[in-house]
Amino acid sequence: MRRFIRSRVFGATLLALMLVLTACGDGSGGDATSTTAGGVETTTTAGGDTSTTAGGDTTTTGGAVDGPAITVASFNFPESVILAEIYAQALEANGYPIERNLNLGSRELIFPEIESGAIGFLPEYLGSAIAIGFGESAPTDPAEALQTLTDLFGGIGVTVLEPAPGEDKNVFVVTGDFASENSVATVTDLAGAGDITLAGPPECEERETCYAGLVETYGLDNLAFESIQEGAARVAALDSGEIQVALLFSTQPVITEMGFVALEGTEEIIAPENVVPVVNSEVAEAYGEELATLVNSISALITTDVLLDLNGRVELEAQNPEDVATDWLTENSLLGG
Amino acid sequence: MEFLSEVAAWFTEPGRWIGEDGILPRTLEHLWLAILPMVIAVTLALPSAVWLAHRRKGEFLANAIVNVGRAVPSFGLLVLAAVFFARAGISLRFWPAVVTLVALAIPPIFTNAYTAIVTVPPETVEAARGVGFRENEVLWGIEVPVGLPVVLAGIRISFIQVLATVPLAAVLSSGGGLGQYVVRGFAQGPAGLVELFSGALLIALLTVGADWAFSIGERAVLPEGVKRLALEDVKAGASVSLQEG
Repeated sequence: MRRFIRSRVFGATLLALMLVLTACGDGSGGDATSTTAGGVETTTTAGGDTSTTAGGDTTTTGGAVDGPAITVASFNFPESVILAEIYAQALEANGYPIERNLNLGSRELIFPEIESGAIGFLPEYLGSAIAIGFGESAPTDPAEALQTLTDLFGGIGVTVLEPAPGEDKNVFVVTGDFASENSVATVTDLAGAGDITLAGPPECEERETCYAGLVETYGLDNLAFESIQEGAARVAALDSGEIQVALLFSTQPVITEMGFVALEGTEEIIAPENVVPVVNSEVAEAYGEELATLVNSISALITTDVLLDLNGRVELEAQNPEDVATDWLTENSLLGG
Repeated sequence: MEFLSEVAAWFTEPGRWIGEDGILPRTLEHLWLAILPMVIAVTLALPSAVWLAHRRKGEFLANAIVNVGRAVPSFGLLVLAAVFFARAGISLRFWPAVVTLVALAIPPIFTNAYTAIVTVPPETVEAARGVGFRENEVLWGIEVPVGLPVVLAGIRISFIQVLATVPLAAVLSSGGGLGQYVVRGFAQGPAGLVELFSGALLIALLTVGADWAFSIGERAVLPEGVKRLALEDVKAGASVSLQEG
């Protein structure tokens, strides 16, 4: 009897430990996704309109570049840290003096720092920077959005470089099976899919960029809303068929992992969220065209698929963002040597 | 002041009390999400605790349940249950929360019941045996009535915890009782502050009200003699919840 109870206790303790561990994992995962692009925006694959220089021929000069140290910052979720590391390491490899200030919190804290120059470089997101950073409404047209952001940042002495083609935007996803059975590829197609439910975070219900917009702009009267704030639960509910459409971020590796399909055609309600590096203007002027050219050549390679892949390496394979950045730069021969 | 008048306006909005998302249906949902797990937890924990304590067995088990109960984070368990239930094709509205709340409710019920029986004065128990009480009579005639205040205190602590944890369920679905107001208000940022505050206020009122109702019920249930005993003799390890006889 005693032995029996002992083994029970041991089992219970193990179970408890396991629960604690999973809780930690869930917590950080949730945080990461919820900050990823707090706003709600989209557009086409802004493919062609950004690239200036192709990847290979970066200015790989070995010697140090003279000028003020550039503090590279990031938000506190893995994708932002990976992006910051990519730019930081590439700049370092080209002799720029780099300091890091990663994993920072919200834009309310970061924007004053980049205005003052305490932060020199930040990988931003087009629509969220406008909507959350400046509290303005983000245009859904990519060119217009970029102009708006350039003007807004110009007002506080910050230079906006070329956006990357890759976007971390809100997407409505369905399972692969649902997409093929109902021939659904765009949000408009959902009208013919019978009574279906969209799950998103609670704020989605009333937003023009989310549920309210889908119903009004695309006339989806057959779409109900269920509030599921926790990301893992939303994915599980979609997978099981309890809900048919879920709001996720376009760069969440779970989309490729689970074979989900991100629906197209949301340009009317969701603003573009291209990755866009912003630089304190004093730093930008101190280094001139050469810095901008180097950064733009890297940005041109960062597509949504690249972001999915990089996030997957961190979130699914548990690699650390610094190493993932180094590997990717090496794969693309951007570290010189 | 302006904030309070906004809160007042929130409470008096048309359809705020009845309607699908109204306060009354939300309160009923909240109570149901708390009472069902409590019934399950009491059914599971109470008989086993009383029996084990009477036989003076399972101290390890009692300790383990307290420690595990303290260590398990409800939120983690909830999400784990949600993923599990979703895989099984069961709606996220109800059962993940019930399972989580049962797990949260069991430790105080079990340990208080165990402690209650174990700490009945041995001279009382021996005296009962001395005058010829059978084992069953010792348990039901002496140990359970004398330990009852502590047993009930455990159930009450548990119920209050469960009521206060039901709102977590709102992160999983459009349910979660009054918690839905809090989660939705929080998600809206500054614009949702009034809803967040109102929801929190309602949950606090419900919890305090339930505690008060429970204490009245407790007084009605306890035998007179035990009430007096509980007053003069606060036993170790248990939070006795009787204020007066």
